[in-house]
Amino acid sequence: MTVMRVRKRNGDSETVDVNKIVRAVERWVGDLDEVDPLRVATKTISGLYDGATTAELDKLSIQTAAELIGEEPQYSKLAARLLAAFVDKEVRGQGVASFSQSIRYAHQQGLIGDGTAAFVARNARKLDDAVDADGDLRFEYFGLRTVADRYLLRHPESRLVVETPQYWLLRVACGLSETPAEAIGFYRLMSSLAYLPSSPTLFNSGTRHTQMSSCFLVDSPRDELDSIYERYHQVAKLSKFSGGIGISWTRIRGRGALIRGTNGKSNGIVPFLKTLDAGVAAVNQGGRRKGAACVYLEPWHPDIEEFLELRDNTGEDSRRTHNLNLANWIPDEFMRRVEADAEWSLIDPSDAPELPDLYGDAFDEAYKAAEKKAVKTVKARDLYGRMMRTLAQTGNGWMTFKDASNRLSNQTGAPGNTIHLSNLCTEILEVNSDDETAVCNLGSINLGAHVTADGVDWEKLRETVRTAVVFLDRVIDINFYPSTQAAASNPRWRPVGLGLMGLQDAFFTLRLPFDSEGARELSTRVQEEIFLTALETSAGLAETFGTHPAYQETRAAKGELHPDLWGVEPSQTDRWAALRSRVAATGLRNSLLVAIAPTATIASIAGCYECIEPQVSNLFKRETMSGEFLQINTYLVRELKARGLWTAPIREQIKRAEGSVQGVADVPADVRELFRTAWELPQRALIDLAAARAPYIDQSQSLNLFMSAPTIGKVSSMYLYAWKAGLKTTYYLRSRPATRIQQATVAIAPVATVTDDEALACSLENPESCEACQ
Amino acid sequence: MLLDPGMDLTLRPMRYPHFFDRYRDAIKNTWTVEEVDLHSDLADLSKLSPAEQHLVSRLVAFFATGDTIVANNLVLNLYQHVNSPEGRLYLSRQLFEEAVHVQFYLNLLDTYVPDEQERFEAFAAVENIPSIARKAEFCFKWIDSIFELRELRSREDRRAFLLNLICFAACIEGLFFYGAFAYVYYLRSRGLLHGLASGTNWVFRDESMHMAFAFDVVDTVRQEEPDLFDAEMEKQVKDMLAEAVECEAQFAADLLEQGVSGMSLADMRSYLEHVADRRLAVLSIEPMYGSKNPFAFMELQDVQELSNFFERRVSAYQVGVTGTVTFDDDF
Repeated sequence: MTVMRVRKRNGDSETVDVNKIVRAVERWVGDLDEVDPLRVATKTISGLYDGATTAELDKLSIQTAAELIGEEPQYSKLAARLLAAFVDKEVRGQGVASFSQSIRYAHQQGLIGDGTAAFVARNARKLDDAVDADGDLRFEYFGLRTVADRYLLRHPESRLVVETPQYWLLRVACGLSETPAEAIGFYRLMSSLAYLPSSPTLFNSGTRHTQMSSCFLVDSPRDELDSIYERYHQVAKLSKFSGGIGISWTRIRGRGALIRGTNGKSNGIVPFLKTLDAGVAAVNQGGRRKGAACVYLEPWHPDIEEFLELRDNTGEDSRRTHNLNLANWIPDEFMRRVEADAEWSLIDPSDAPELPDLYGDAFDEAYKAAEKKAVKTVKARDLYGRMMRTLAQTGNGWMTFKDASNRLSNQTGAPGNTIHLSNLCTEILEVNSDDETAVCNLGSINLGAHVTADGVDWEKLRETVRTAVVFLDRVIDINFYPSTQAAASNPRWRPVGLGLMGLQDAFFTLRLPFDSEGARELSTRVQEEIFLTALETSAGLAETFGTHPAYQETRAAKGELHPDLWGVEPSQTDRWAALRSRVAATGLRNSLLVAIAPTATIASIAGCYECIEPQVSNLFKRETMSGEFLQINTYLVRELKARGLWTAPIREQIKRAEGSVQGVADVPADVRELFRTAWELPQRALIDLAAARAPYIDQSQSLNLFMSAPTIGKVSSMYLYAWKAGLKTTYYLRSRPATRIQQATVAIAPVATVTDDEALACSLENPESCEACQ
Repeated sequence: MLLDPGMDLTLRPMRYPHFFDRYRDAIKNTWTVEEVDLHSDLADLSKLSPAEQHLVSRLVAFFATGDTIVANNLVLNLYQHVNSPEGRLYLSRQLFEEAVHVQFYLNLLDTYVPDEQERFEAFAAVENIPSIARKAEFCFKWIDSIFELRELRSREDRRAFLLNLICFAACIEGLFFYGAFAYVYYLRSRGLLHGLASGTNWVFRDESMHMAFAFDVVDTVRQEEPDLFDAEMEKQVKDMLAEAVECEAQFAADLLEQGVSGMSLADMRSYLEHVADRRLAVLSIEPMYGSKNPFAFMELQDVQELSNFFERRVSAYQVGVTGTVTFDDDF
């Protein structure tokens, strides 16, 4: 083997020494008893070229450690630690040795807001001492990689990071705190990964642009050109500062409707949505992610059929919007007619402008009256079938239910207040209007961090909720509002969205299969605890600061709390009774408190499963802007190791089956049952769990449904069931590609050794592509 | 028999329903060039080191002509001799897919290489760049080997045809393209060039299906005419693959000549040998190299993807869903 040399930062070159790399890796091994530093070192060298830089060597050793995760999950922590050391070196290399120095340096670069900079300067010693030196040891690799690539502040020119991961969390806490004690308490909660605010807060808290809200719900433009172009402008501004946008388009007249001003006929909504599509794609959210929006339309709109084709990948491209998400905002009357196999009228909004503002009986009446002006009549079932096809083919065209969303909302207590749509991720339901854009800031509790094999630590959970609600509420006052309509709404209603992630972690820890009775009870009980504690905290805030200004317009002001709207009997009767009398006396600080967001990114940072979702696979990869990352179910690995089953052949089988353990004969039945994936669970169970917890969610939940090979029959049955179960909203229908790339790294199984059972399992799992079957 | 000369037009009774199934599955995975968003790639390109830029420019130059060559062989040789209307349905579909790939890489080069003169040079890579020219010569040699054959009359004709088929499946789609994919996935594993990676991911999905179809044809012929597959044939296949590995290895030497961290030439050779052994395994031939795959980022391609929709378009959806509205299906 030829001698390999590396170039050091000072320009000198030296011979690569395997022992030196081994020692550098060993430093970080600590409690990781299954990792082999020599293996990382030799693999690193084999990928190196002669004359590489030491920075390249460091990066390669991180990458190399990360690539071993599929065999041994402990390499994830090792890679994270190597990365933390790399980041640390980068920060210190700029002369930053403490948290307060990092803030001062970043403030000089124009990154930190004056208020936060002054707060930190005033309390420098206390805050510097609060930094947890071992905080980074808790991260998994994917989480820390995400943090390092996208969350840490960077020098505007050199692009070097100017804060370490722990400085970042402390900076986020300081941006929302009034005293150092408060900041340190909030920092410790986040650093423990038991709770994280949503990405906009993690990006922007403490900076010069404190836009910390995740969601904006923009009402449909009025049916006129000026209003439409005002909305484009508003969407661009909201999107620029990391917000996700929901926007309705229901008020805009359809194709063929008369335009009086010019005596011409309208081209309908599609060309306008095409413009919106381009606008959304053009806005880059600070280089961190692309803008994103979801358009809502009610199914009586005359352009509904063209709307459902917007995401098709065939047909005329000028009538396709590749960047917009689509959602149906469905009145119950439509579903009733689908069930009854009745006719459905498409009505131009210019002929019935009142329809978007009505729900329930008032809508049904007005709709029936407007039917005589119908532009077209279709069979309700045909249109429903078309919706199902869009869902199955594109995953888009989400089913969200207008009547349940309005009927079961605290904000619709006064006449004239209507929820016109949900948001980009279908978990936010808030009233809005032409001059009020609803806003919500979010955060999610990592349930996994509140559970041990003995059960849920309820007091810890309550404590987390209390802290979370206070800081979510705080955002409302500190927030920078990118549009006047957003600034008009949020202080009036003060809604927040406290969510949940890591439900699957809790189920694994407690060994509850996702579709078991025990799982449903636990999930409902947890949700009740979160909601009740959140309401108690909001009542406490109201006692200090007063109710939110629109409180008199809410149902709570009439003594109706969310579970009452559902007509359910909560389990903790005494606490609910006490809460009721407090609310009757001093009201609530927030009109809405709970929403379960998808948590895609923050769950990665916290190293837990996303929100309320079952695991998608025991072995999968995440693709993000940072690259691709192998993720493995560490609960399964632990279980198999304890049984002596974590062997190369079994790993190979799991990989061959795309992360399923159902075909692995050596694994006992109860273990297989526990470790089923989202594709293997009955979807009815997911809907039942969601419906059971719904009375304790005053907004909604981002509920994905999964079907490997969807058919119109299955999908239409499933969504009818979801509607009947009373869900307010659903999210993506996830399916799998019809064919897939042939696996390149699993061994080619000789045809003769495949038993009939294996072949069957295999072809069910991945039709047409499994090499074992050929 | 499948390779009997002629133009069979009879779909019923269907002799090779597995070919028809492949045709239908392929249709479910239709994608179009417009769906691939290349906008973030331009920013990435300027971030690459000179060594990585060299790698990318060579790579796209290969892609610029690679799929066209495959399409030509399909039309000039394969379609003619696979005498089954359902098999030809699949090949027609494959031809469409090759066209989409050509269009994708055309669009990619137009985007990546704004300078017109440089762009012309990239498209002329087959003539100008020796490491690509050598791969092209290998392909042309095998296209030409049966170009004069109008009908597969003799045993020798059939064996010549099979070698051409195996060459395109195992060496060109199965090795040259798999080599190229490795570079793309290497970049993707570093979070670079998402547009190139997502388009290539779809190309890769299609190509692996083309390869599977070709091996399906080989297996079908093997069942019908087992005596065509003898020791001499085996030797010819091995020689051909060995030559392909050398072609691809000299291409790798060119791509990696400036040093790319995480992708050494030695590792690339092991990867190619590993892939070659896999092709032999499918053909029930003993491995030649016994090399292991050194690239962990290729293992990433074998597991389910889960995209964060905020960041990337999910490529996992289905086209061609069937059925009617009912309310009592199990779900």
